[in-house]
Amino acid sequence: MVVRELLYTKEHEWAKLEGDTASVGITDYAQNQLGELTFVELPDVGKQVTRKAELAVVESSKAASDVYSPVTGKVTEVNSELEAKPELINEDCYKAGWICKIKITDTASAKNLMDANQYEEYLKGL
Amino acid sequence: MLKADTLAGTFIFEPPQPPPLGSILYQEHLKLTDKSRLAEFAGYLMPLWYSSISAEHSAVRQHTGLFDCTHMGIFEVSGSEAAEFLHIVTTNQVASLSAGAARYSYILDAAGNVLDDIIIYRRSEDNFMVVVNAANEPKIKAYLAALLTGRVILDTDNPNRQLECKPNIRDMRDTATAPDCRVDIALQGPTSPNILYTLAENDDLKQKIETLKPFHFIEADLDGINCIISRTGYTGARIGFELFVHPDNAAELWRRLLKHGEKSGAVPCGLGARDSLRIEAGLPLYGHELAGPFNISPFEAGYAWAVKLDKDFFIGKSAMQQAANSCDMNVARIELPGAKGIRPVRQNDGVVDTDGICVGWVLSSAKAGERQIAIVYADKNQSQEEKEVGIYYLARSESQKSKGKKQNVDREEKLEADITGRVVSRFEKF
Repeated sequence: MVVRELLYTKEHEWAKLEGDTASVGITDYAQNQLGELTFVELPDVGKQVTRKAELAVVESSKAASDVYSPVTGKVTEVNSELEAKPELINEDCYKAGWICKIKITDTASAKNLMDANQYEEYLKGL
Repeated sequence: MLKADTLAGTFIFEPPQPPPLGSILYQEHLKLTDKSRLAEFAGYLMPLWYSSISAEHSAVRQHTGLFDCTHMGIFEVSGSEAAEFLHIVTTNQVASLSAGAARYSYILDAAGNVLDDIIIYRRSEDNFMVVVNAANEPKIKAYLAALLTGRVILDTDNPNRQLECKPNIRDMRDTATAPDCRVDIALQGPTSPNILYTLAENDDLKQKIETLKPFHFIEADLDGINCIISRTGYTGARIGFELFVHPDNAAELWRRLLKHGEKSGAVPCGLGARDSLRIEAGLPLYGHELAGPFNISPFEAGYAWAVKLDKDFFIGKSAMQQAANSCDMNVARIELPGAKGIRPVRQNDGVVDTDGICVGWVLSSAKAGERQIAIVYADKNQSQEEKEVGIYYLARSESQKSKGKKQNVDREEKLEADITGRVVSRFEKF
């Protein structure tokens, strides 16, 4: 499942741009590949992150996987509900399963993200 | 490809690495799950899970799971010298194995390295079926061939010792070798007999299945398909079967088991549940709880009974005599909290005693309901049942590394445990 108004990375993160802030999570394809998540390591609020650098870690019983930041900026808010309920990412990855919000400091970093159509095409090629 | 170090008696094998193939049940898997769920294992594309690992795990504990084990290696060792050959090449007793019975054993090289853990099925006085790990199949095939042609040393104490017995050995999964070929499909869990009863063609066979004891097998037709029906498995289920069937009939048998299994709650299970079930039960996986980076011996793994040091000779015996007397480390099973939101423990995480000293490492771990089970390699004195132990998580991310989390830990190192649990019995049955 791909949501229309979101932007996507090749590493299967999504970003929802609202003004200079991006809400960030992982896509349905990603959660489906990872299987049942049992733990999420959230970034610290205030952390400076750069596009394609490590943002968070999601873990299933089989593997730990890095989540990369889709944009460059500063983490302003995290979804601390995921600490006790990592399954929110499996159940509702585009809404309740959001990971954090990032205040974009380098607007160019968000320029090369894929739109929903491009991401769907990209998934077909995998 | 094959080099034998004649001085040390170490069998060195560099496996070929061809591109992965679908298993013989590949088309069946594609009907049940998305292609992206298949992952390479031992050269085969195998399903990791169909529904979810936890659902499949609990299906095996409460009902039944169906497993594609067609990637497992199967060799036939036959002829009047077959028993004598296996007596020398494997560690457990062979002579006392009766027809229709199976036994867990090891294949070692002369230096005592464990080449694989195996199950030997005696089909008749001079016919044996040997089931080996998929990941070790090319190595065992090469080793058996090297033994037959005298290219490996048998005994480091007596390098001139020769193998007198030369049985016939063939790959039973290769349909070019003979009409009687076999691949393995496992049906594991408490309702598994009911499924076999519905496929059994008469009451006599039902009776035989019902009274079949663990590590025993019969050969019979299930719904017109010839099977070796064996009370063996790798899930810790008290009741479970492996069905050895001709490769040409494997897909048909798989479909019928799924169809007739539905009302018994049977579901197909992938490699994920196969691993979590065997971990929960404490069963070793070659390369993790046996051999592997710590070169874990059968004695440390908890399988001294499968190495018969009172046999006159077997390949690797003198090394095993030493290994039997030198185990201050052993394999232990520990139970830890495992609810969602608790970070899973992983391979190579540190095992920490109550004084905060590193006494070993995690070998394998799995989630089982609300608990995690870890199999660890740890100081024997610190891993006795009921002992409290902690686990130190190694760094899983760059941010943890920057906060000082270690990427590996050594014994005796002082560490702060991230999570605590306790040692439980080495094995558990369900």
